Amino acid sequence: MNALIVAGLVLGSIYAISALGLVLTYTASRVFNFAHGAIAYFVAVFYYWLHTRHGWSVPAAAVVSIGVMSPLLGLFLWAALFRRLAHTPPVVRFVSTVGLWVALPALVKVIFPFTKNEIFEPTGLIEGSPRVFDVFGVNINANQLVVLVGAAVVATGLTVLIRYTPLGLSVRATVDSPRVAGIAGVNTSVVTASSWMLGTVLAGLAGVLLTPILGLADIQFTLLLVASLGAVVIARMTSLPLAFGGALLIGLAQEVSREWLPDSGVLAKGFRPSIPFIVMLVFLLAYQGLKGERFEVDSRAISQDRPEAPAPPPLRGWRGALGPALVAGALLTVPLWLSDFWIGVVSQGMGLAILFLTFTVVTGEGGMVSLCQMTLAGIGGFTAAKLATDSGWPLGLALLVGAAVAVPVGMLVAGLSLRLGGLYLALATLAFSQLVENLVFAREDFDNFGTGVEIGRPQFFGIDFDDAAPFYLLLVVVFCVMALLVLNLRRGTSGLVFASMRSSEPASATIGISVVRSKMIAFGASAFIAGLGGGLYAIAIGRAAPASFNLIIGIVWLAIVVTWGVRSVVGALIAGIIFVVAPQLVSLYLSEGWTDVPTMLFGLGAIALAREPRGVLFDVVNQHRLRRLRRQTRRDERARRAAPVPA
Amino acid sequence: MIADALLRADDVTVRFGGVVALDGVSISAPASAIVGLVGPNGAGKTTLFGVLSGLVRPRSGRVLLRGVDVTSTSPQRRSRLGLARTFQRIELFAELTVREHLVVAHRAHERRDRRFLADLAGLESRPPPRERELVAGLLDLLGLTALADRPAALLPLGTGRLVEVARALATEPAIVLLDEPTSGLDAGEAERLATALERTRADLDVAFVLVEHNVDFVLGLAEHVTVLDFGKVIAAGAPAAIRADKAVQAAYLGTSTGAGAL
Repeated sequence: MNALIVAGLVLGSIYAISALGLVLTYTASRVFNFAHGAIAYFVAVFYYWLHTRHGWSVPAAAVVSIGVMSPLLGLFLWAALFRRLAHTPPVVRFVSTVGLWVALPALVKVIFPFTKNEIFEPTGLIEGSPRVFDVFGVNINANQLVVLVGAAVVATGLTVLIRYTPLGLSVRATVDSPRVAGIAGVNTSVVTASSWMLGTVLAGLAGVLLTPILGLADIQFTLLLVASLGAVVIARMTSLPLAFGGALLIGLAQEVSREWLPDSGVLAKGFRPSIPFIVMLVFLLAYQGLKGERFEVDSRAISQDRPEAPAPPPLRGWRGALGPALVAGALLTVPLWLSDFWIGVVSQGMGLAILFLTFTVVTGEGGMVSLCQMTLAGIGGFTAAKLATDSGWPLGLALLVGAAVAVPVGMLVAGLSLRLGGLYLALATLAFSQLVENLVFAREDFDNFGTGVEIGRPQFFGIDFDDAAPFYLLLVVVFCVMALLVLNLRRGTSGLVFASMRSSEPASATIGISVVRSKMIAFGASAFIAGLGGGLYAIAIGRAAPASFNLIIGIVWLAIVVTWGVRSVVGALIAGIIFVVAPQLVSLYLSEGWTDVPTMLFGLGAIALAREPRGVLFDVVNQHRLRRLRRQTRRDERARRAAPVPA
Repeated sequence: MIADALLRADDVTVRFGGVVALDGVSISAPASAIVGLVGPNGAGKTTLFGVLSGLVRPRSGRVLLRGVDVTSTSPQRRSRLGLARTFQRIELFAELTVREHLVVAHRAHERRDRRFLADLAGLESRPPPRERELVAGLLDLLGLTALADRPAALLPLGTGRLVEVARALATEPAIVLLDEPTSGLDAGEAERLATALERTRADLDVAFVLVEHNVDFVLGLAEHVTVLDFGKVIAAGAPAAIRADKAVQAAYLGTSTGAGAL
């Protein structure tokens, strides 16, 4: 038991180091930095590169990576990204840091190719084989001791810094009101930049401290970040002491629960990793008044910064149908000029495009960032695969039932977390997705040693969709139908209601809109699309497997969809196809060094949203309209000058 | 207190942490009246509007709308009972045009905002003539017809306030709470707003509760004025009586009337 308690404290300290950094950056900038773990990973790899690859001594490598590289990275990220985020809508803030989370590990693999191979027992701050100490009759090695002490020091130091120093005072003032703090003589740029640098130093410290315990794998750092969110929620995002205490508590619970857990079965495997998320959900639901804080977005400031051309009136009648018909027509000709192999690849992309429409509805229309759409897709995919393969149902029916099963699940999540809103909604959906991943998808009958559940191709109306071309065409038809439904929803009264809610929930409520009901509808509809898309995507790749619907995949999906335009069905289409085709092209035609470049670009694209929150497609169309407008103005001007001056 | 008040708050108390924002405040508005609510900054006017419209839950006291106790009902339910409001910090729907603001408000009022399946099927019924008439009439009333198809994000502040008033009226309310409707309006726009309010009251029997800093605007328009200071009602009565009230002069009008002393 003592051994478990000490192990729990060590694990808790690991969470604490991560959680404290997150709380600090959130306190200092109101940007919730999902890339915290990725930054820690980056610095850890840099440290390893200096120390192990280039033979630097531990102190030199530690000072350069934690004391120089980390703050420089923080300064760079602040100047290039976080500075701009202050004036963007919450969805954009959020997705930009998710983009960084996706891009950084890929960037690391491009810069430091040695990270692609497993690194055995990387060194931390303790060189050689660490000494073992005896604490209360429990053996604990020097690396673990450093983590324990490090967490306590960081917690105390930060609390003192924020509460009792002039810098801390400026930080708190700047967060409350940047403008007033500025008038009072605080250089707010310096304050937010230093907070970011401090945040990345903490991330770097965490990275180096945790290296010997976690190993140098980006996935470990990501999972650490996600698990430490439990402590961040306990701290209500802002309390350093609560974050520290909460982290220790979660670590203890995870280790001590070993005493009581059965030796086999899904609970043995899935319960411990689920603890942080159970804690997270419980606290999210228990805390009162966790309404997503009201971000003050000055839409006028944005539109002056980025001039927006007035949209032409929507085309009516056959002219309005022309654009969509052209897109559909182009999609239908694909089998004529691609080989069967590439039709197969593009089919996976079409399956994803259908799935991605779920983001168009829940985030694009509903204005909510949900991190469980991939889980809802997984529910649809697994249900369809189980019913079709194990129970022998006709595939079409299995697909529909899969989609239908996702709906109540999605609505349940929505119902529990809607009153939270904003960032807290994202965290609640994240917790839910992790619970399903650990407790359901990890079950042996779903996971099947990682291979998942097979699912075949459909066969109906006498057509055999086993062949590449017919199956592809089926997906195109389904995509067009779903896209049309989404467009109808947007064009109707529902679209007006969604747009109202995205701008102002209080105003929507006072004109009689039921905000909760409308959000439930958006969530339910998005769950249906996710479930259907998940099933079709599973058919396209031949199986429903946990790895196709996990968190890491889910955030890359979100990043790429938002990059292309989360308000646009064409954005979802392009995102789906690029997500599958780009890596395939790279692996066929480029050397191995390029493997991670597409993922990096997907992440960087999401970061670029800070510049144009409405996505690439909107930007292109808008630039085109602006050019036309300018030409028109010049023509008018010339005509006016040429005309005889009226007497 | 008037027994047949359309909207009534009885003994409402609101605390934010240790601060008592409203302390036993009562106010009432009869049908088709214009009632003014004035007071210095921080007096609790906006909080009282929050309580009346359902965005702020009072710690004690009750709110009656058309004789129904609505103290713990949602804003949308109150909207259906005929209550509408505008906001001090304007809360427009940035992506919608001026016309769409009125359309969505009217449809929400008529409960045509919940046609999910019909929308999915693309059963885009042409806007019914009643809706088109009502929207066009309101746009005309507030002088917004020329701006009807502009997106709200690009409107100047003064116009934004008029759009908020129009949106409130599009729910065909019995009573509208206006939170500082003239702040940011120039003299001409304020004039136009005053005329519009008078006309709406005359034509549609709509009552207004008016929070204002522009004292002349309130005293010129309202039949009954309540004065709040530090969360308490310090005076209530006809505009002329309020102008003469010594406590009010001390708390609020002091400098403008030149009567500094108690």
